[in-house]
Amino acid sequence: MEYFLSEEQKIIKKLAKRISDEYVSKVAIKYDKEGIFPKDILDLLAYTELTGVYIPKEYGGFGGGVMEMCLVVEELSRNCAGVAVSYAATALGAYPIILYGKEEQKKKYLPKIAKGELIAAFALTEADAGSDVSSIKTTAEKKGDYYILNGSKHWITNGGEADVYVVFAVTDKSKGPRGISAFIVEKGYEGFYCGKKEDKMGIRASSTTELIFEDCKVPKENLLGREGTGFIVAMKTFDRTRPGVAAMAVGIAQGAYEHAVRYAKERVQFGQPLSSFQAIQHMLADMYINIEAARAMLYSTCRMIDSGAKDFSKESSACKVFASDVAMKVTTDAVQIMGGNGYVKDYPVEKMMRDAKVTQIFEGANQIQRNIIASEIIKEY
Amino acid sequence: MKILVCIKQVVDPEKVEYNAQTKTIKRNAQYLMNNPADLSALEFALRIKDVYKDVHITTLSMGPAECESKIKELIEVGCDSCVLLSDKRLAGSDAYSTAYALAKAIEKLGNFDLILCGESSLDGETSIVPPQIAEYLNIPHIAFASNIKVLNIERIEVERKLKNLLFRFEVKLPALISVKKDSAFLRLPKLSFMIKALSYTPQILSVDDFENFDFDRVGAEGSKTSVDSFVEQSFEDVKCEIYDGIEDAQIECIADLVTRFL
Repeated sequence: MEYFLSEEQKIIKKLAKRISDEYVSKVAIKYDKEGIFPKDILDLLAYTELTGVYIPKEYGGFGGGVMEMCLVVEELSRNCAGVAVSYAATALGAYPIILYGKEEQKKKYLPKIAKGELIAAFALTEADAGSDVSSIKTTAEKKGDYYILNGSKHWITNGGEADVYVVFAVTDKSKGPRGISAFIVEKGYEGFYCGKKEDKMGIRASSTTELIFEDCKVPKENLLGREGTGFIVAMKTFDRTRPGVAAMAVGIAQGAYEHAVRYAKERVQFGQPLSSFQAIQHMLADMYINIEAARAMLYSTCRMIDSGAKDFSKESSACKVFASDVAMKVTTDAVQIMGGNGYVKDYPVEKMMRDAKVTQIFEGANQIQRNIIASEIIKEY
Repeated sequence: MKILVCIKQVVDPEKVEYNAQTKTIKRNAQYLMNNPADLSALEFALRIKDVYKDVHITTLSMGPAECESKIKELIEVGCDSCVLLSDKRLAGSDAYSTAYALAKAIEKLGNFDLILCGESSLDGETSIVPPQIAEYLNIPHIAFASNIKVLNIERIEVERKLKNLLFRFEVKLPALISVKKDSAFLRLPKLSFMIKALSYTPQILSVDDFENFDFDRVGAEGSKTSVDSFVEQSFEDVKCEIYDGIEDAQIECIADLVTRFL
């Protein structure tokens, strides 16, 4: 199904698929096993100009939007969600600059992100502030021409690998969520360190680390937006990047489904291929139905966002929840169809099942997403 | 610098179909691919363009209109322009006739500093088209190159490997070089070039565009060679040897096989 993609979007999908099938598939198992950050794949994405698909043209990008970013993420995820999330995390770090950056900030960072010369990251989560964003404790105190950051961030995707981090810190504790501000912090700033690297269940090719700020000096011109707008910056960014998680989920599900179908046609039991058993056929049919539904939901949400709609939190959360639940179900079923071979690391579906799990957790756990959706529904009627 | 790369659209050997009566290979558009050795030649041209910014790369193909979809892929990797020599009167041309027609097209298109070809085509394997083009154009030719380096605007350095020997040639431009198939792998396309390719139409030439064209030299009638027959090869007689044992023994067997067959 083409989903009415434009010719340009079809090209982006085709190019990303080629990189995924010809390069990502070759390294997926090794990078997962050894936890290797896919810099070589990111370099290929940079060469092919896919790193700039969602960056505005005036800053050296292709001028696409969330849809273009999601098409790349989806195709990379078909073979390795760890690679896909390493790509997508830069978008998560770039979107606050696209949305709230001052002209000088945009000119300084976006062209380099578009060219793949800079990897970005988004640093919000803390040990005691995951879904409860307003509880962050990292502080930023203005002193002369600098903000002095103190505190630490946890589970930061692209941590240690990124060149630019959008970091959220409290500038006025008395104001609660309205006292949070966002800053652009560059690798190498005094007092900025990378901490422990997480040993994760899935997306192991991606880097997830702790970040530590000890009297870290951030120039005052690196304040993103205005002081106290950090919470809005984070929420508006998430609204645009949650479909990226949905795209990752759709890609993982698609990859697992393709493996399961091929396996079911090849594997012979009781003298006939697995695919001839109706129990297996129904599982495959359900996989297809769910993936297509998730993809349709994802693409329609992307189109809505890119059309310039003002409020799309509900749709953005809904496609993330649905697609990630589909990914978990489809990958589990793919493992089931492949039996023992699905459960061992010789085939990629075992990895896909592990990778799928995180899509139900990060960028706001699915329970929180349901809160957002419910809150919007109740407001509407 | 103006570089021309000759690129043939061949039928994917995995999917090849032939017409036993006309003794020709069916060129079904969906099974066409750009000849791998020619793509190695193209990669060398692109590498030169990476270094020297005023390089203009043109590709030249000869074949039916179906080839156009594959030619667009050449724009996707960074070629500046593509030409398709397409004329029914050229159908059935052998290597001799093809070289003549291509040489006439190259003369028509202008003065190229460097002409690159693959060593041979997957569906012909004669390796004689490149030297014949060079002969027609009366320019120097080096075959089976493994590397090409531009020394300056007038001279290039060409390497050719022969087992453990490396020949290094220096040649004055204009010249024609044919390159070994796996000497370079064609790069990935770029998004901006792919967008450009969407609306790109290759320049189409016919033999009517050429001056003093000798029609007796082309087509099946003008060819000096012809295909006698197609015979399907059976693989039933292929011997399969299974080497069992522990890993070290298997490695020894593989080493022995490599030594025997290299």
